[in-house]
Amino acid sequence: MPYISEFINTTIQDSSEKNIGKLKDVLIRPRAGTYAGLGYILVKNKKYKKDFFIPFEQVENLSNKEITLKNVFSESNIEHTVPPEHIFLIKDVLDQQIVDMGGARVVRVNDLKLGVFEGSMSVLGIDISFKGLLRRLGLTFIDFFKMMPSNLIDWRQAHPIKGALRLDTVSQNLTKLHPADLANIIEDLNIKQGGQLVTSLDEREAAKVLEEMDPHLKKILIKHMGPEKVGKIIERMSVDEAVDVIKTLSKDEARHFLSFLQEGKSKTVQKLLSHPNDTAGGLMTTDFVRVTPDWTVGDTIDEIRKISPSLRSLLYVYVTNKRDIFQGTVSLRRLLLAQSHQKISSIMKKTRATGNLRVHNKINEITTTMTKYNLYSAAVLDKKKRLVGIVTIDDIMRRIRPNA
Amino acid sequence: MLKTKSILKKLAFIMAVVGPGIIAANADNDAGGITTYSIAGAHFGVKMLWVLFLITISLAVTQEMGVRIGVITRQGLGGIIRENFGIKWTAFAMVAMLVANLGTITAEFAGVAAAFSIFGISKFIVVPLAALAVWFILLKGTFRTTQKIFLVFSAFYIVYIINGFIIHPDFGEAITSLVKPTIEWTTPFLLTMIALIGTTITPWGQFFIQSYVVDKGLDIKHYKTEKAEVYVGAFITDIVSFFIIISTAAVLYKHGIRITDAKDAAMALRPLAGNLAQLLFAFGLFSASMLGAFILPTATAYALCEAFGWESGFNTTWKTGRTFYSIILFTIIVPALIVLLPKISLIKIMILSQDVNGILLPFILIFVMKIINDKRIMGEHVNKPIGNIIAWATIYGIIGATVVLVVTSLLGYN
Repeated sequence: MPYISEFINTTIQDSSEKNIGKLKDVLIRPRAGTYAGLGYILVKNKKYKKDFFIPFEQVENLSNKEITLKNVFSESNIEHTVPPEHIFLIKDVLDQQIVDMGGARVVRVNDLKLGVFEGSMSVLGIDISFKGLLRRLGLTFIDFFKMMPSNLIDWRQAHPIKGALRLDTVSQNLTKLHPADLANIIEDLNIKQGGQLVTSLDEREAAKVLEEMDPHLKKILIKHMGPEKVGKIIERMSVDEAVDVIKTLSKDEARHFLSFLQEGKSKTVQKLLSHPNDTAGGLMTTDFVRVTPDWTVGDTIDEIRKISPSLRSLLYVYVTNKRDIFQGTVSLRRLLLAQSHQKISSIMKKTRATGNLRVHNKINEITTTMTKYNLYSAAVLDKKKRLVGIVTIDDIMRRIRPNA
Repeated sequence: MLKTKSILKKLAFIMAVVGPGIIAANADNDAGGITTYSIAGAHFGVKMLWVLFLITISLAVTQEMGVRIGVITRQGLGGIIRENFGIKWTAFAMVAMLVANLGTITAEFAGVAAAFSIFGISKFIVVPLAALAVWFILLKGTFRTTQKIFLVFSAFYIVYIINGFIIHPDFGEAITSLVKPTIEWTTPFLLTMIALIGTTITPWGQFFIQSYVVDKGLDIKHYKTEKAEVYVGAFITDIVSFFIIISTAAVLYKHGIRITDAKDAAMALRPLAGNLAQLLFAFGLFSASMLGAFILPTATAYALCEAFGWESGFNTTWKTGRTFYSIILFTIIVPALIVLLPKISLIKIMILSQDVNGILLPFILIFVMKIINDKRIMGEHVNKPIGNIIAWATIYGIIGATVVLVVTSLLGYN
């Protein structure tokens, strides 16, 4: 099966065996989830000032010796305008970077494999192998034992990032990926492309992706995108992540970014900002479910249904009295097993038995407490034993393994 | 109050971008650099200062172009070459860079060996140890800290400046030589001259400054500060080079001493350090060499991986980053082995590798020129005429010198 590099500069003849030029590029109209049939060929001929397009249906035979057309070529209907929604395979795809969704990474295109799919010549795969490089360089003889592996990426898994097909249309497919994988891809792209990709995602998705990114690159990306765009994304982040983002900025920039947040969120973020990074206060989030002991299980479950979309995770319901003093926790398991008319006070685990954190606790104190009491998330109290936030296990893991 | 605040703000902004220009410039004074400047002074006195003066301007201009391309495209040089010149030119540029860098890394290991040879410690002990140290520190990820340490160490060059004042050189003569071209049509002179250019403006420096700017996420709004930093960096490096040359000119050239090993070069510091000169020189040469030995294999691997699309970075696993790690290993082992060849002259390695750099430099610079004058890539930030004139003059200057070198050595003018 042929590769596209074999056809570059191949002579094109029409059905009367007249030379009409050389192949300069091939155009396709990519569609998500399927192989793209070749749409047009771009022909270069010194006789005409501009290169021109011929629809691929007119191609009779495609080989690396010559390309022949079905009809007699007539100069009168030469087409110079770029067909809409098409991309250039050689200019925009070959040698450029593409997103490999299967591997959640960014790779460089060494060659493109062509083949027949449902009766029409299409791009089937992307060659990213060393063998592909050698073929392009005319050095295939180096692989004389034919030992080198081919490494093809299925075209349906691949997304070009340059040219007419812009990232915003691509991103609909990318959202199928896990945010962590998407974050990896963005880390591989250059900051411009990465910024475009993040902007093209919906804000909730973008927030998740940013949370997963490497801190150093995240900082650069955020500065590149600017407060206006990032403000909307931070709005959708959990409070502790928003704080993390703001913390990477200088004071002036932070103030600027904060001004793009809604007032309530901005205030909570500012409050959290006052705690040092590596303490419970700095790690905690204020997104959790809080009830008082006199609530019933039914009320609580209703409340959870209502606010759950704004929470990243939910493992316990936290109980405080009217003055915010921490009383205890109720696990989801207990909630599920209880009758809906039961009072929270009757099923909650009291403070003494739960273990909790203080805002100034250092990371090793936090891990000790959480390990000792087997907690996936722990309550954080201030000096007056008021509940101010919770620390969840994923925040701790991120702190321990920042580059994962 | 308000005013000091705004000054502080400005200062903070400047501190944030300070780095690439100064680091790249400082790393220019590596083993190859220190040797080449010493030889230029010891063998030819102040005759080559005018070349130094001209290439300081060239260095500033070419580094600034690297910064500008980085800021606008947000991509390394390898990637841009691949995306705009196709695979064959990319292969050509990358081979040129690889050869030049292998030469420079060889010079770094030769520098380590030369530094310890002063104390009579064999290169067969030192070089393998240094190679191992580089490999493990790169893998263990303490690269940034290590880089900083050696960068601080390389501040040792200040001693050359102090030394330069102590020996009371003829500053009048030196200043005249800066602007008055003198040339000898002999192979040694031309070889040293090309090495002088090749150690100051380097292919790797061009790749390095650009990826540094990209990694740091510098924006067009940082451009002015960064430009200033690059200019300052070029000036500082060449001030040091200037003082190395006048020191060796005054101490060695005047007495007809030629440099055949590191001990001879160290003598230039005697007026300042007396008997400690050798220790001081060895320390400086060692740290400068190690700084280069850390930066270069990594920079080479990143550039190659970017151009050919292999996965790179120290956070990749052995399996996915196999090519990346292989390149680093290759660029450490091969140069170390070359240095370990018995009977090879360390000084010759250090200066000839800089010639290789000088001869290959024009090829890389031509790519840079093509890119920076391409409106599709650079938009409104294409080169101004003055930048083009200086850069092309540099390119043609080196090509001219190389051609003359080949002709004179063929005709046998030694």
